[in-house]
Amino acid sequence: MPTDHRNPARDASQNPASSAVPSRASNPARDTSQNPAPSATQVVDDSDRAASSTGQVTKPSSPLPPPILSLRGVCKKFGSVRALDHVDFDIRAHEVVAVVGDNAAGKSVLAKTIAGVHPPDSGTIYLDGRPTLIPTPAAAHELGVATVFQDLALCDNLDIVANLFLGREARAYGVMKEAAMEDIARSVFGRIGARLPSVRTKVAALSGGQRQSTAVARALLGSPRIVVLDEPTSSLSVTQTAEVLNLIEHLRDLGYGVMLISHILADVQAVADRLVVMRHGRINGEAPMADVSYEDIIAAITGVPNDLTRATQRRADAARAG
Amino acid sequence: MTTERPTLGSQSSLREANRGRILDAIKRFGALTQVEIADAAGLSTATVSNIVKELTANGVVTTSPVSRSGRRALQVSLARRLGLVAGVHFASRTLRIELSDLVGTVIAQQHMPLPADHRADTGMDRAALLIADLLESIGASHEELRGVGLGIAAPVDHRDGSLPVHGIQRGWDEVQIAPSMARRLDTPVFVDNDANLAALAERRFGAAQGADVAAYVYVGHGVGAGLVIDGQIFRGAAGTAGEIGHIRVVDSGAICHCGNRGCLETVVNANALVESLRATHGNLSLRDVVNQCLAGDAGCSRVVADAGLFVGVAVAALANVINPRVVVIGGELARCGDLLLDPIRNEAGRAVLRNPASPLRIVQAALGDLAPVRGATALALDSVSLTADITEVSYAN
Repeated sequence: MPTDHRNPARDASQNPASSAVPSRASNPARDTSQNPAPSATQVVDDSDRAASSTGQVTKPSSPLPPPILSLRGVCKKFGSVRALDHVDFDIRAHEVVAVVGDNAAGKSVLAKTIAGVHPPDSGTIYLDGRPTLIPTPAAAHELGVATVFQDLALCDNLDIVANLFLGREARAYGVMKEAAMEDIARSVFGRIGARLPSVRTKVAALSGGQRQSTAVARALLGSPRIVVLDEPTSSLSVTQTAEVLNLIEHLRDLGYGVMLISHILADVQAVADRLVVMRHGRINGEAPMADVSYEDIIAAITGVPNDLTRATQRRADAARAG
Repeated sequence: MTTERPTLGSQSSLREANRGRILDAIKRFGALTQVEIADAAGLSTATVSNIVKELTANGVVTTSPVSRSGRRALQVSLARRLGLVAGVHFASRTLRIELSDLVGTVIAQQHMPLPADHRADTGMDRAALLIADLLESIGASHEELRGVGLGIAAPVDHRDGSLPVHGIQRGWDEVQIAPSMARRLDTPVFVDNDANLAALAERRFGAAQGADVAAYVYVGHGVGAGLVIDGQIFRGAAGTAGEIGHIRVVDSGAICHCGNRGCLETVVNANALVESLRATHGNLSLRDVVNQCLAGDAGCSRVVADAGLFVGVAVAALANVINPRVVVIGGELARCGDLLLDPIRNEAGRAVLRNPASPLRIVQAALGDLAPVRGATALALDSVSLTADITEVSYAN
């Protein structure tokens, strides 16, 4: 069924601007400014950054497994607001990628693009290296992208099992297979190490951390490969935060690619492998977590040029040049 | 309680298994109602009710009436005797917390990942809130908390609970840990190095039981050791005893964060280990290295084995100085078992003075990652039991 979304020909015909053929729309002014030590102001305050889309899936340095999902040159406008401005982004299996940034930096729009809520205006999404369209949330689900949005979208008046299977209840001859659904629910919670005493508890009676676990469990029922978590620890107590962070580590160990959107840096630094800083819809810094300090991250979020933003800029320039 | 082991498959063995499932559920979730226990343990409510009655009579659990969604229910929690203590362990990347009663039964526990280079203020706030939440989860009041033991991955001057050497836990330098944590919790706090506490725990409950002279060696994000001599932690003059991570093992090696050259910790630390795998394996975490080593990956096994060789050099030096009855190897890498321990044994065996009366024994930690937090609990128990008002606590059982 998902073949439709994976068909490159269809992709090219529907979205010619972002076809798999490289669009060499590089900015000459930008190219000439490529000196070894670009000045600080040039680097950060370059809102007219050239289209970084080369349209190619980058060949990652050899040891890294190829990304499951790649975005190249993705743009999204809401009226005159550029929510996403030529965003390049990768998620690999067995990896937690944290996306941080100020309010309205484009974090949630990026998540919603991957989740099929906001299809991009231009740019390409690659799944396993093939150009793919994610036009709807249902398509994202079929392609193996599970998203847990900030509001969780759980029904308070139903119990955990009913929430997990809402709209896709297991049936036999028109009768719901309650016991089978309970077993599946228990096995999912066991697998993700969630602390939930009873799967028949009403969602209204759950703590914030338990609600998050329930929403994650529901997302995992479709056997996804990528789990997108939008602000999973905001407005949670420390105990609940602990459970969500343990859950994220567990998901990573199970081999999922996890995209963690958050502005709580202590949480991000605790569990993420890689960090992406967004600012005004652009990627303002990207690095392995081990290589960046708290101060670097704050600087990149607030727009102060530093090693992190410069390195990211250099890589983007190099990708454009070569 | 049963004294003989009941026959397998008999009614009584079934009952014993059910008892175990119920206690596991209560330990995992804190206080639960009987209905919740039934669901968590997969048993009928009648069975749960029967067994809870029996456990209450034996003093293992206590029950209290509560109301759940308008209905009356019976909440079951582990019985606690004479008050509670908390053990807290700030490891390099993990915070672990454990609540025990004053006879050492663990009542509740929690853990969470920490950022690299975590900060004292955030860390202590989170630990205090976690302790408060754990107390609430077992239905205990704050007054029941009698003391807190705290272990941290840096040398500690135990006289005032400060860190004498700066730069090891950068976010904790110049913080008066004991008083500021005590202020947050309104209870006495006792601070020590986590390897010291792990050594204490392994000596009391783990792989070094009965050893008059024992050493615990932590191998993971860094390397350190704790020494227990005649049952007491040996800290040296001001906390840096056992810092074998700063024994020189590479003559012209890299400069260590301590300023010296070629320290053991420059070649055995999380960054160095994953860095040597980056070209072939990509970005790994320390946990990935251990998991892949156990799964048989050649590169990861080699990195772990090489780390073992370096650690072996330092273990031999340590053994030549204090002649331990047993050396317990713990920390994240110790999960690799003999893949780490055999190289340590080989290398240490080549450099230690052989003493036929006490051959050097190098074993894996029995308490795993829990050793330091168990030790922190033991430190709290030892410290609070000295105060006058609870002298009735008996360790006879």
